[in-house]
Amino acid sequence: MMALRTPLAGARGLGSAKSGFSHWWMSRVTSIALVPLSLWFVFAVAALGGMDYAAFVAWVRSPLVTALLILSLAVTIYHMMLGLRVIIEDYVRPEALKVTGIIVMNFISILIGALGIIAVLKISLGAGS
Amino acid sequence: MAQFRLPANSVVKQGKTYAAPPGAKRSKKFVVYRYDPDSEANPRLDTFEVDLDDCGPMVLDALIKIKSEFDPTLAFRRSCREAICGSCAMNINGGNTIACTKKIEDTQGDAVKIYPLPHMSVIKDLVTDFTHFFAQYASVRPWLRTQTPPPPDRERLQSPAERAAFDDNERCILCACCSSSCPSYWWNSDRYLGPAILLLAHRFIADSRDEATGERLDELEDPYKLYRCHTIMNCTATCPKGINPAKAIGKIKELIAARHV
Repeated sequence: MMALRTPLAGARGLGSAKSGFSHWWMSRVTSIALVPLSLWFVFAVAALGGMDYAAFVAWVRSPLVTALLILSLAVTIYHMMLGLRVIIEDYVRPEALKVTGIIVMNFISILIGALGIIAVLKISLGAGS
Repeated sequence: MAQFRLPANSVVKQGKTYAAPPGAKRSKKFVVYRYDPDSEANPRLDTFEVDLDDCGPMVLDALIKIKSEFDPTLAFRRSCREAICGSCAMNINGGNTIACTKKIEDTQGDAVKIYPLPHMSVIKDLVTDFTHFFAQYASVRPWLRTQTPPPPDRERLQSPAERAAFDDNERCILCACCSSSCPSYWWNSDRYLGPAILLLAHRFIADSRDEATGERLDELEDPYKLYRCHTIMNCTATCPKGINPAKAIGKIKELIAARHV
C-alpha cells in the first residue's frame, strides 16, 4: 500500500473483477465429471492385466473406450489447470512471476493434454498392426 | 512469494522469567510474546508464574494481573471482559480466541502460551494493527442500501423470520480471530476480504430490507475478494462466538451461482 493512500483506498484496490464464478464453477463441475471417469479408468486399466498388445489395441479402438480415454485426459488436464492456477495465485509473488507462471503452466498443461489425446487417437484411428 | 520463514529481526528470543510470589501454592506459567517497537531488540518470550489462588478465572484476568503486579509495560487491548467488544483477541496455546472468555483451567499443558493474532502486523506485544482489517470492513459498505424510502410513519418492517436469516452474522464482534486464522488471508489479505468481512457482507445480503443484493454480489464476485476462500474452515473452528463464517461464504457463492445457472 502507498504510504499516502487512505486505508480504504488500499482495501478497495482496483475493485471487483466481476468474474471468478466460472473458474469456481468449472472446478466443481470437472470434479463431479471425474468421479465416474476416474473410477472407470482405474477399473478398466486394472482389468487389462494379462492382455496382449493386439487385444489392448482392439480395446482402445472401441469407440466408447476411445471417447472415455480422451474425455478422462481432457477433463483431468482441465481440472488440473484450474487447480494449479489457484495454487499459483495463492503463493507465487511477485506479480510478474505469478502471471508468467500461470501462462507457462497453461502451455505445459495443454501440451500434455494434446500429446495424450493424439496418442489415443493414433492408436484408435491409425492403420494399426 | 508467500513468506514461510520469519525475517531475522522477527525471530523470537527467550526473555525474562518472573517467579511466582513466595508462598504461592498453585501457580501456572504464562509465556507471553513481547515486542517493543522502540528498541532494536528482537521479539522475546517472557515467562510469568501466576498464583492462580490469587487470580480471576480467565486468561484475561491473568494478563491484567501480570500487567499490574509483574510488568506494567505489557501491552494488550481489553475492554468489556464479556465477549462483546472483541478487543482482547489473541493467540492462546495455538488457537485464536478472546482472552476474556478463555478459562485458565481449560488450557492444556503446564504453560499457557500467549501470542498476538497470527500474520497481523504487531504494534507492541499483543497489540496488532487492525487498520487494513477495518478498511476492508468499510469497503463492503456495511449499511442498508435502499432506493425505496422508508414508510413515512414508521421504520422499515421486517418479520421475525426475515430477521432470523442473519442472526448468526449479527453476533460477530469483529475480533479478527477468524480472519487471522485463515491461511488464505495470511497469504493474500491485501486483496482477499477474509472470513469476518465476508460474514458481515453476507449480513446485508441476507437482510430482507436491503435493496442492493445484486450490487453487493457484483462487488464480491472476484477471484481474490471472495474466491480465495478454499473452505479450509479454520474460521469456523476458531470463532470464540461459535459463528460459522464458512457457511456465510458458502451462501454468497451459492447466490452468485444462482444468478449464473
